Amino acid sequence: MKIKIGDDTKKELIRLAETKSISLEGNILKVIDADGDEEFDAYLKDSIEKDTTKRKKRLEITKQIQKQNNELLEGKDKIETINSQLKAALEEAEESRKEALAAKEQAENSMIDAHHAREEAEKAKTEAINAKDIAESDLDFMQKKTQFELIGTIVKVALWVILGVGVITTAVFVIALFSGKDTTIVGSTWSNIVGILLTNAFSIIGTIMGVKYASEKKH
Amino acid sequence: MIESILLVDDEDLFHLVFEDACSLLDITLSLQSISSADEAAKLFKKWFEHGPLEERPECVFVDLNIIGSSFDGIELIRKINFEYGNHVVIGIISSSNEATEQAKAVAAGAQFWIIKSDDIEPRLEDFKKDYDGYRNKTNPFKVYK
Repeated sequence: MKIKIGDDTKKELIRLAETKSISLEGNILKVIDADGDEEFDAYLKDSIEKDTTKRKKRLEITKQIQKQNNELLEGKDKIETINSQLKAALEEAEESRKEALAAKEQAENSMIDAHHAREEAEKAKTEAINAKDIAESDLDFMQKKTQFELIGTIVKVALWVILGVGVITTAVFVIALFSGKDTTIVGSTWSNIVGILLTNAFSIIGTIMGVKYASEKKH
Repeated sequence: MIESILLVDDEDLFHLVFEDACSLLDITLSLQSISSADEAAKLFKKWFEHGPLEERPECVFVDLNIIGSSFDGIELIRKINFEYGNHVVIGIISSSNEATEQAKAVAAGAQFWIIKSDDIEPRLEDFKKDYDGYRNKTNPFKVYK
């Protein structure tokens, strides 16, 4: 596809190129037919050459800009990667901080729990000591009570034995007196025995009174 | 020379590079560049449903990852091939060279894969030489490294 233009236009285009350096540019030059006009054909060739030179220059510059742009984009990508890594690291640090705070809080709670447990243990220990003291006291009391009861029984038996011996000796001495037999030995024996018995009886009564007093006080 | 080309790429600087390279290599006189796969899909849908079919480009270059779009370049190729008529030469232009992605592109109906780099012109020149084969659907899928 070729287009033809009028002679006046051709002359005007040539004049513009010569006087003001204004030429046609671009692919339009490739579709204009010089139509046998040598001067216009030379104009077209010159314009195409200028256009080609301009395009080559522009292509080189565009390629350089494109290259620089690509480098900038790569740099931007790297910066974005570093930024995202930094962001991830910050998030991780924040997460660790939160975990540490949670752990600290947990430790504090555990410490409080331990403190409470210690207090409860101490309370339980005090209660156990008190219970032990009460148990020991009760045991001591029971032992003493048993001892006092045993002593009381022994004293009662001893009193009955003394009374029995006293009654028998007295009976023997009375029989000897009324039968008219010699009472020297029996009499002295009776007086000795009665003396001993009275002494022992008072001693025993004293012991019984003591035991009773002690028992009442313990109760 | 290819009658008209549509470039779908989110990188505006590449639009300039591609336009100048196509002009210098006389690949096409008509180049349209857009930055969104959604916009491209809308255009093809419009051409397919309402026409005019003459407005449709002869060849489409699609970036693999089009930032800001609802779907990627492979999905756009699939839509154009299987939903909007399949009447264009279409392929991927991307800095990626992953075999798995290339296999997906072939399955979607891509005919070529041009790897973007600082030195795009030699690849476009090779593509220009092979273009008739793509238009006639006789060339197999090819990766321009």
